[in-house]
Amino acid sequence: MTRWALLAAGVATLALPPILPERYLATFVLLLLAATVTVGVSLLMGYAGQVSLGQASFYAIGAYAAGLLSVHGVPSLIALAVAPVVAAVAAVLLGAPLLRLRGHHLAFATLAVQLILLSVLAQADWAGGAIGLQGIPRLTVLGVELRDVGYAYAAWVVLAVALLISRNVIESRAGRGLRAAATSETAAAASGVAIGRYRLAVFTLSAAMAGLAGGVYAFYLGYLSPGSFPVLLSIEFVVMAVVGGLGTIAGPVVGAAVITVLVQVLNTLGTQPGMPDYAPSVLSYAVYALVLIVCVLYLPRGLVPALDRLRATRITVAERADPARTGP
Amino acid sequence: MSDLIGYLLTGLGIGAGFALVGSGLVAIYRVTRVVNFAQGGFAVLAAMLTSSLLGAGLPHGVAELGGVALGALAGLIVGVVAIGRPGTSPGTSLIVTLGMGVLAYAIEVLIWGDQPRSYPGVTGVAEVAGARFPAHYLLILAVTAPVFLLMAWFFTRTDLGKALSACASNRYAAQVVGIDIRRMGLLAFAIGGALGGLAGVLTTPVQQVTFDSDVTLIVNGFAAAVLGGLTRPVVALAGGLLLGVTQTLAAGYGGGAYQVEVALVLMLTVMIVQAARTGPVPETAR
Amino acid sequence: MTAVVETHDLTVRYSGATALDGVDLTVHDHEMVALIGANGAGKSTLVKALSGLIRPASGTITVNGRLAQVPEGREMFGDLTVDDNLRLGGWRNGRHGRDTTAIYDLLPELTTVRHRKAGALSGGQQQMVAIGRALMARPDILVIDELSLGLAPLIVTTLVDHLRTLNTDRGLAVLLIEQNARLALDLCDRAYVLEAGRIALQGPAATLADDPRVAAAYLGGHVAVTP
Repeated sequence: MTRWALLAAGVATLALPPILPERYLATFVLLLLAATVTVGVSLLMGYAGQVSLGQASFYAIGAYAAGLLSVHGVPSLIALAVAPVVAAVAAVLLGAPLLRLRGHHLAFATLAVQLILLSVLAQADWAGGAIGLQGIPRLTVLGVELRDVGYAYAAWVVLAVALLISRNVIESRAGRGLRAAATSETAAAASGVAIGRYRLAVFTLSAAMAGLAGGVYAFYLGYLSPGSFPVLLSIEFVVMAVVGGLGTIAGPVVGAAVITVLVQVLNTLGTQPGMPDYAPSVLSYAVYALVLIVCVLYLPRGLVPALDRLRATRITVAERADPARTGP
Repeated sequence: MSDLIGYLLTGLGIGAGFALVGSGLVAIYRVTRVVNFAQGGFAVLAAMLTSSLLGAGLPHGVAELGGVALGALAGLIVGVVAIGRPGTSPGTSLIVTLGMGVLAYAIEVLIWGDQPRSYPGVTGVAEVAGARFPAHYLLILAVTAPVFLLMAWFFTRTDLGKALSACASNRYAAQVVGIDIRRMGLLAFAIGGALGGLAGVLTTPVQQVTFDSDVTLIVNGFAAAVLGGLTRPVVALAGGLLLGVTQTLAAGYGGGAYQVEVALVLMLTVMIVQAARTGPVPETAR
Repeated sequence: MTAVVETHDLTVRYSGATALDGVDLTVHDHEMVALIGANGAGKSTLVKALSGLIRPASGTITVNGRLAQVPEGREMFGDLTVDDNLRLGGWRNGRHGRDTTAIYDLLPELTTVRHRKAGALSGGQQQMVAIGRALMARPDILVIDELSLGLAPLIVTTLVDHLRTLNTDRGLAVLLIEQNARLALDLCDRAYVLEAGRIALQGPAATLADDPRVAAAYLGGHVAVTP
């Protein structure tokens, strides 16, 4: 059911870019890119059971890799292809030590990595420093230089690739093993799942997705600065993943869409004449916060599974009895 | 030489702020097993309110107390949302506190705007062994030291403090003897809020505060606390002071660059070494 | 005789699975009652329900007086001192009810270790702290979840002597949950046998000890070892 709906949505969104007004087109492109990153975050949280508060690091690494390469004359399409590779390599190097950590330790470690990256970038003259990297050329595909609508399609393709990979992971044997690992590490280990390696694989994969999206972002904006990748952006990705539903295929897209549209609506509201100039940021912070809290407490599996359950109420679903032990 | 002493003392002052934030994290984590991501926000809220109260003509001391009280209240509110619902797992609570931290942004920008704020503390320059530095740093140390002594007394000598320690030691046994662990969790959040608030109130005169200063505070506070496995306040104190001094030395002798990295790399190293020594730490410790 | 604890048709479920099914159990004042049964029969569930730590699905629990629990596994506050462990046992009494002097008279073995961390004590000493901590609540009935588990026979004898004294001198009622059925039937006046969440047998301890079904399942040399 969900998959057909997704396919229909995919076709519909293909028709959308040419008819969208320009200011919504930008939102549309950023939404698709955010959804791509969120696919990775959702895999990581749902399938490796780990919270990353630094996913924007890999978004930034991909963006800077693509930007720097193309600024130095590498053909843009090759630079874009290298972006996810650089992000993945960074993830392997970081993941090897970091993934020994769990839960809040990993959350803080990923946050620390992002803060270090931002600080290094701000001091790196070769990357434009705090002022940023300017003059990134436009993305050229088959000799055609992409314009706004073109980026919408590029982002669409990137998201589609991420979703395909995500589906394959979820339906693979490794995916099922990881799913088990996310809930009970001992059980997964007992069933012979090589958790450590799978976990690193998912971490790397999620970084590659973020890197690829970051590459498109670099060419789309043509300008990068450390300020484009705040910690709050990482938190946004977590919010989107949690809202949509962790470890589902459609969840990240739904989550990204709901949050982006909500923020866009409030932004429009906040910039109405008569509203104070701080209104848009106050409203968007409040939305992230409230949506995250309400979802985590009342819809812990996210919107997509919740909607699925609503539909499935007529079919009796036998739930595994799980004797909840009180006490230690 | 006088440079070094100056760096050391200002470093201790900065570090005292981290230690207060970190020990607030520890106070909450021990009792609830929740790492409170909103901990830095308490400092920001307290500092912002203090600046307003001072601006409204309240005397020093009263304004600062008001700030700390707001920190405690904010801590209590975060606690109610994060652990108020029975059956909320520590992982879920962590995400909730993350949300509360972002919610604090909305409130702070709404009330105080997004520009940096500060207020004068102890004015003038102190001179110790030839080193000259803002006298306010001495006040930070003079307040932090008794606060830690007071905490040590509270947790080991009073029945309420012992009950909090009992929840930290064995939640099930605490329930068996009739301690209301949820109430104790809320008390821990309020104490954590007050400690965070105190950090903000004390350090703002030497380090101006913006609504998103909380990220630096929480990361440094966590780094201080994680040295003691998030459960030992004394280690959090030592860790915070160490971080402050290291950063000030790095800034002083390294020309201002890379002071953030020093703390963060230290924290990462500590965590990775701890994990390597104990094996992957199960997240659901009781 | 009045009942200190009485359950009527007590049923407890854990997400659908029935752990206790219509249990009727009574402990009168001054009485020592044993509850025996295999692992998973529902003994610990009953303890938790009696202490109010879990909510029954149906049925009633009536407690006339104060109930204190000695939990399975002793459950020390490991990084607190013995004296602090005892003090916290009197948490519900308010500050004036937290004087520990009387406990050291009852359990003199604890006097020498009163300032040591409870986590550093031997199993037998910890069990004594657990009993002392429960006594701090000034209970009318003590519910003991596994008294002898993992303890040396000599220590168990000391603990049993203490319990006998508390029962005869102070009229303390005891509900003893015990995997060592022989010990429990020796010590107690009456006994219940719990099987799969139901009371399978009940009666005077001496009668049950002679019952061939009890002898075969619980006294026959082979004693189930709790993990």
